[in-house]
Amino acid sequence: MADEQKPEGSAPPASGGSAEPAKPSAETPKAAAPKPAAGGGHAPPKPPAPMAATPWEDDLPKQVKDRFGGQIMAASSYLGQNFFAVKPEAAIPVLEFLKLEADFDYLVDITAVDYPHRAERFDLVYILYSFARNERIRVKTMIADGVKPPSAVGVHLAANWIEREVFDMFGIEFTGHPDMRRILLPEEWEGFPLRKENSIIKQDDRWVRENLGIESGQ
Amino acid sequence: MKKFLRTIFLVDLFQGLWVTFRNQNPKYIYTEQYPAERPKVAERYRGAPRLNINPDNGETLCIACNLCALACPETLIVVTSERNEQTRRKELTTFTYDLSRCMFCGLCEDACPVDALELTQDFELATYTREGQIWDRQMLEEGPTPTQYKC
Amino acid sequence: MPETTFLDSTELVLNMGPQHPSTHGVLRVILKLDGEKVMGTECVIGYLHRGVEKIGENRTYQQFAPYVDRMDYVAAVSNGLGYCLAVEKLLNIEAPPRAQVTRVILTELNRIASHLLWLGTHALDIGAITPVFYCFREREEVLKIFENYCGARLTTHAFRIGGLQYELYDGFEEQVKAFCDMFLPKVDEYEELLTNNRIWVARLKGVGILTGDECKEFGVTGPVLRAAGVKWDLRKAQPYSGYEQYDFEIPTGENGDTYDRYMVRMQEMRQAVRIIRQAVEKIPSGPIGKTPKVIKPATGEVYVSIEAPKGELGYFVVSDNSTQPYRVRVRPPSFVNLQALDRMVRGGLVADVVAIIGTLDIVLGEVDR
Repeated sequence: MADEQKPEGSAPPASGGSAEPAKPSAETPKAAAPKPAAGGGHAPPKPPAPMAATPWEDDLPKQVKDRFGGQIMAASSYLGQNFFAVKPEAAIPVLEFLKLEADFDYLVDITAVDYPHRAERFDLVYILYSFARNERIRVKTMIADGVKPPSAVGVHLAANWIEREVFDMFGIEFTGHPDMRRILLPEEWEGFPLRKENSIIKQDDRWVRENLGIESGQ
Repeated sequence: MKKFLRTIFLVDLFQGLWVTFRNQNPKYIYTEQYPAERPKVAERYRGAPRLNINPDNGETLCIACNLCALACPETLIVVTSERNEQTRRKELTTFTYDLSRCMFCGLCEDACPVDALELTQDFELATYTREGQIWDRQMLEEGPTPTQYKC
Repeated sequence: MPETTFLDSTELVLNMGPQHPSTHGVLRVILKLDGEKVMGTECVIGYLHRGVEKIGENRTYQQFAPYVDRMDYVAAVSNGLGYCLAVEKLLNIEAPPRAQVTRVILTELNRIASHLLWLGTHALDIGAITPVFYCFREREEVLKIFENYCGARLTTHAFRIGGLQYELYDGFEEQVKAFCDMFLPKVDEYEELLTNNRIWVARLKGVGILTGDECKEFGVTGPVLRAAGVKWDLRKAQPYSGYEQYDFEIPTGENGDTYDRYMVRMQEMRQAVRIIRQAVEKIPSGPIGKTPKVIKPATGEVYVSIEAPKGELGYFVVSDNSTQPYRVRVRPPSFVNLQALDRMVRGGLVADVVAIIGTLDIVLGEVDR
């Protein structure tokens, strides 16, 4: 993820038409106000440290672990926010268990994060909230490209459009969804924008060249 | 019975109509007759950018540090400079600002360490061509000159 | 004898297209009608999709803040607050007390401005043309305060990560207090125009009922949930930015119909004035916050949500220890609330569809991002 990010990532702030005057002056301002400090040249990117999550010991993770056993890979907490990391086939059963037994009846959001360097590139995150307990937790799974996880519509009706959006942006199809098609982009759009290989600079260049016939200013 | 009379005589509708009639007093007119009277915008209004000039010696305040260009989310500022061999400092040569993509967020103004780049109160920034929206250093120092209407 | 033939009647599919004065933006609703009764709807959205989440992956944390205002453009200050709170949580810093109190004042003013716009446009859709002028006149006063503070009326970019950028201007407290004193009688005036008006009541009572359980199933939050009787507000349940210091009530409704949502939002405007009055009394002196020069949070992810005027606005920010976020996910309240439209319009008439879209208080900038 780092090497695909950095060339595109440093291009917007340091370019803007002419890269030459930007680079020498990128070194001089030491008190750089809001901009990437590593804008100019930088060492080959090393992978970032993993998330400093602490284990989460409470009644609820114990209950969930007793019920699901080895399918729960971890129950941790980061900055006070608790989450479960589960195996993909356990995601919907865990959601159902949490809804029926633990009062987590409100599905706040479903989202995905793309880590293209991992074998299982997508991190599918379900965020749940319980009105009775006033607590919010996350349930994370990791799925590979091409895998079709089951849909959460049977458990929470709110998942309908949210899963359509995850499909639209990432290409993760959910089986059992009543209406799996694109929601935000036009039907005939090809590609999945939020995957990391789609750089917005390249997309802008290509679209402007095809539709306006000129070279884009980016 | 009272409720029946209120319904028959449309009391609730007249109550609403009375509010409307009350507001017909000319002292409540709120419309601004633009362009004859221009609104007075706030001091901190983020309008047209301007490169400030030192009033004492007429030179530009910009030190060509490029911080504004790095701060801009849209990367629409291009600053070129050349090194002055006598004073061994950088001097500004050209400064290009693309107003068509600017979202007037004020990050460039916040980033400038010497208060050379400032977003002024000018809000009449329309031009007839897209190229007219790209301002060079001279335009930035003088500012836009909108037509003043007298009617 | 000629045989009488009966024409088979099929559903009429009517397009309430993206260009429509009552859809509050570019929303396309495909109605399946039987005469004038609505059998089902299908919403087509995405006309205002600008890819804000993808932009977020290509800008630094401070550079992304102006983009966030443009999602719910009616209530830009709230969006900024949510984003700044999320990044501050990721950095594990907190804004100083003076900044927190000012943030509360501006956010509540923003809530009033958003509800005023909602009231004006909703009344206009129903057919009451007068309230829109009065509401926008009051909204002007709020926007003047924003302009005096941060320089822009609509896309304010008022907050920075770590606190505020601009110090309060001279006369801020006086202007806010004058606004509050002027505004409360105006709310009474709007109520005089609408609340007991028989046309208003007939158009809104019993229309678009969504019960509390249905709201929870669909994930609907905000005034829609409160009108259904669920007394839940993120400002009370999980307070942020110092909201626990203020004394205010959560208005709720009973039936969950459109009239109750109208009453809930009117009461929310009054409660917002109450919060502003309390906050203006106690602005502490002190620093307004220091924006860190280089924001490079540790690897991790965080989800922070606030009570925006439209519902629960959440930001899920994933960081990979670089200056640009790895993923910014915005959980838009209008997007999730709009899902419930199908359930709410079944069995109603076409005119009710207009009322229900208005009462959900959607802003397409937020639905599509």
